Amino acid sequence: MEILKTEGISKHFGGVVAVEGFSMVQRDNQITGIIGPNGAGKTTVFNLITGAASVDHGSILFMGREITRLPAHRRTDLGIARTFQNIRLFGNLTVLDNMKVAHDMKVRYTLWEEMLRLPRVRRQEREIDEKARHFLAYLGLESYAGQKPQNLSYGIQRRLELARTLMTEPRILLLDEPAAGLNPHEVRSLMDTIRKIQEENVLTIVIVEHHMELIMNICSLIHVLDFGKKIAEGEPEAIKKNEQVLQAYLGEEV
Amino acid sequence: MNWNILLQQIVNGISLGGVYALMAVGFGLIFNVLKFSNFSHGGVVTLTAYVGFFLSRYVIANFIITFLLTAVAGGLAAVVIERLVFRPIRRKGYPISMLIVNSITVAMLVQQFFAVTLGADYYTYPNFIKETALHLGSLTVSKIYLLMLGISAVVLGALTYVIQKTKIGIAIRAASSDIFTPSLMGVNVDFVVSVAFFFSGVLGGITGYLLGMTFTVDPFVGSMILKGIIASIIGGMGSILGGVIAGLLLGAAESLLIGEIGAALTPMVIYGSIILLLLVRPQGIAGKITEIKA
Amino acid sequence: MFYLKVLEITSLYTILVLGVYLMTGLTGLFSLGQGGFVSIGAYTAAIAYLRFGVPFPLALALAVLIGALLGFLVGIPTLRLRRDYFLLVTFGLGEMVRAGLLYLAQLTGGALGMAGMPKRVGLPLILGSIAVITFITYSLKRSRFGRDCIAIRDDELAASMMGINVYAHKMKVFIISSATTAYGGALYAFDILFIEPNLFNWLESAKLIIITFVGGLNSIAGVIAASTIYYSFGEFFRFIDVWRDVLLAVVVILVIIFRPGGLFQGLSLLPSRLRRKWR
Repeated sequence: MEILKTEGISKHFGGVVAVEGFSMVQRDNQITGIIGPNGAGKTTVFNLITGAASVDHGSILFMGREITRLPAHRRTDLGIARTFQNIRLFGNLTVLDNMKVAHDMKVRYTLWEEMLRLPRVRRQEREIDEKARHFLAYLGLESYAGQKPQNLSYGIQRRLELARTLMTEPRILLLDEPAAGLNPHEVRSLMDTIRKIQEENVLTIVIVEHHMELIMNICSLIHVLDFGKKIAEGEPEAIKKNEQVLQAYLGEEV
Repeated sequence: MNWNILLQQIVNGISLGGVYALMAVGFGLIFNVLKFSNFSHGGVVTLTAYVGFFLSRYVIANFIITFLLTAVAGGLAAVVIERLVFRPIRRKGYPISMLIVNSITVAMLVQQFFAVTLGADYYTYPNFIKETALHLGSLTVSKIYLLMLGISAVVLGALTYVIQKTKIGIAIRAASSDIFTPSLMGVNVDFVVSVAFFFSGVLGGITGYLLGMTFTVDPFVGSMILKGIIASIIGGMGSILGGVIAGLLLGAAESLLIGEIGAALTPMVIYGSIILLLLVRPQGIAGKITEIKA
Repeated sequence: MFYLKVLEITSLYTILVLGVYLMTGLTGLFSLGQGGFVSIGAYTAAIAYLRFGVPFPLALALAVLIGALLGFLVGIPTLRLRRDYFLLVTFGLGEMVRAGLLYLAQLTGGALGMAGMPKRVGLPLILGSIAVITFITYSLKRSRFGRDCIAIRDDELAASMMGINVYAHKMKVFIISSATTAYGGALYAFDILFIEPNLFNWLESAKLIIITFVGGLNSIAGVIAASTIYYSFGEFFRFIDVWRDVLLAVVVILVIIFRPGGLFQGLSLLPSRLRRKWR
C-alpha cells in the first residue's frame, strides 16, 4: 500500500529554486534512496515532507490523507519520523530523556494530574521509562542511559538518533545522511541496523545519502535529484548506468 | 488641523529620529555579525554620555574635540566588552541565550554603577551653542536638534561608505551572511568582530554624547536603546537603510503621537503597532527571512 | 525578629523567581515584562479588596486568575516570535502596564501608589506558598512537561519534529508563570502594604532572569538558593547594599562564562535515595 506520496511539490527561497515538481511514491516495506549532488535539494524534500518547511506548490499524502498544510508536530504524531543531517539531540537532557521526549505526544495524562503527581502520572512515567530502555537496548545503547549526548562518540550519537525515532511509533522513517562522518566499519554496521529496523518493525524507510555503497546496497529504489528536479528513478543497477546521473555528478560527458 | 504645529512636531521628531537611527544601526551591526541582540549597547550609550560630560566640563570645553574623543571612547568600550564578556562565550560555543543574558547584565552593570556612584546629581553639558533656536519661516527649530540630525546623517553616510567600499567593510558584510566561511578564506574572524564592535561602539558613543548634550546625563540614558532596538526591528534587523528609515519614522511618529494623545498613551500605541507589525511582517521594512537549516 | 523579616521578604521574591524559572530557566523564554504581571497581581488584589470589598482570599484568587488570563492574551500573538523579539515585546508590554497604572489614577492612585492594605500575609502563608509552588514545579519538571520544556529550550525545530506542539506548550508555560508571578504580586501588596507603578520595572524583571541563570537552569534548588542569597544579602549588608546589583552583575557575567550550568548546578531538591523512591 502507499504510505507516502508527494505530487509535484516545489519550494522556492527568494529567487532560488530549491525543489521543483518532485513526485514520488513510497510503498510499505521499502527502503528507498534519494541521491544527488550537493545542493540538489534533498534535505529540502525531507523538510517539506515533515513540515519543517511549507510547500509552495503540490501536495503530500500520507496513508491516503492530505497532510500538505498540517503542522510538523501533527505529522510526527501520524507516524512520520526523521533524523537530521546535523545531529539534533537535546544536549541538556540525558540519553534516556531524549528517548522519552520522542514519545511524549502519546502520553495520556493531563497537565493538572502532572502538577499533582497523581498515581496515574507515575504509572505512565514508569511505562515510558521501560519503553525508552527497551529501544535503547534494541540498538545496544542501554549503558548510556544516564549520560548527556555530548559525552558520547559521534557514531553512538547517530545510533541514538535512530533509536529516538522508534519512540515516536513511526510508519515511515526519513533518514537524512545517516552515514555522514562514519568510518567504513560503522557504515556497514549502520546498514545492518537499518535493515534490521525495517524488517523487525515493519517500516518503510527513505534515505538521503551521499554514501554510494550504502545506498546501492540496501535500497530497492532510488530517486536522483539535480538542481531541485528529479532526473532519474529506478533500481540501483539502472541508476548506476544512467547517463544523466553520471553527468550530474561528474559534470561532463562520460 | 494646525499644519504648522504638526510640521513643528514632525521636525522635532525627525531630529530625535536621527539618534534613534544611530542606535538602530549600532545595534543592527552586531545583530548582523553575531546574530544576537546586544543590549550592552545601552550600557555603552550611558557610559559615553558621562564620558562626554566629564571631558567637556573638566578637560576642554571644545565641542569637536570632546565629541570625537567620546566617539572613540565608545568604540573602545564596546571592544573591551566584546573581549571580556562575549568572546569567551563564543569561543566555548554556548547558545545565543547566554550572550543575550550577559548583554543585559552588562547594561544593568553600567546603569547601577552610575546610579551608585554618580546617580544622585544631574549633570549637564556646557552650552556649546548660543541662541538655541533657529527660525525658518513659521517653524522654530532647536539648533541642537538640527545639530543632532546633521551629525547623524554625516555619520551614517560615512558608515555606509565604509561598509560598501572598504576592505574591512566587505569583510564585515561577509561575516554577516556566514560567520564561518570568511575564516576559511583567511579572514581573521575575531578581528572582524572586534572591528564591528568598534564601529558599533563609536555609534554608541556619538549617541551617548548627543543624548547627554541635548537632555541631561543620568544612569538611565541607556534605556533609550529600546527605541533604537524598536527601530532596528521595524526597519528589518540587519539592514542599515531600513534602520535609518525606521528610526526617522519612529521619531516623527512618536512626536506626533505625544502631541495628539499625550505621553502616557503614546508608548501603548507604539508597542501595539510593533506587535502587529511583527505578526504581519516579521522581517520589517527591508529585512530578509532566513530559513533554518535542518 | 529581624531574621524573620528578612526571611519573609526573601521568600516573597523567591516566589517571583520561581515563576520566572519555569518559563526562562526551563523553557528559554526571556521576558523583560514579568514586572508587569507582578504589578497586575498586586493592583488587582489591592483594588478588589479596597475598592470593591472583596474578601482577601478571593482577592488573591482573582489576582491569579487575571494573571493567567492576561498571560493567555499576551501569549497569543507573542509566543510565535523569536527569542529577541519576544524579549522586546514583553518589555514593551511591561512598560505599557506601568503607563496604564499611572494613567488610570482614579482607580490606582496613580503615581502616589496605593496603601491601606491590611497585613494579611505573613511568613506561614509565604513559606507555604513556596512549598506548594516548588512541589508543582518539581513535579512538572520530572515528567513530560519538564522534558518538553528543556527540549524546546535546546532545539525548537527538533522538538516539533518529535511531535511536541511547541506553541501550545509555550502557552501553558507562560500562563502558569504569569499566574504564579501575579500571585507573588498579590502577596506583596498585602505584606509590604504599599505598591506603586514603578515598583517592578524592566530592571527587576531582568534581575529575576539573571538570578535564574546564576542559580542554574536545571536546578530548582539552585535557583531558590541563589534567590535567597541575593535578596537577603541586601538586608544583612546594608552598607554595601547599593553595590549589590553591581556585584550581582559581575558574578553573573563570570558564572555564565565559567560555569554556565549555574553556580549551584549540581544541587538537587531531593537526595538521590529519595529521588528514586519518588518514582
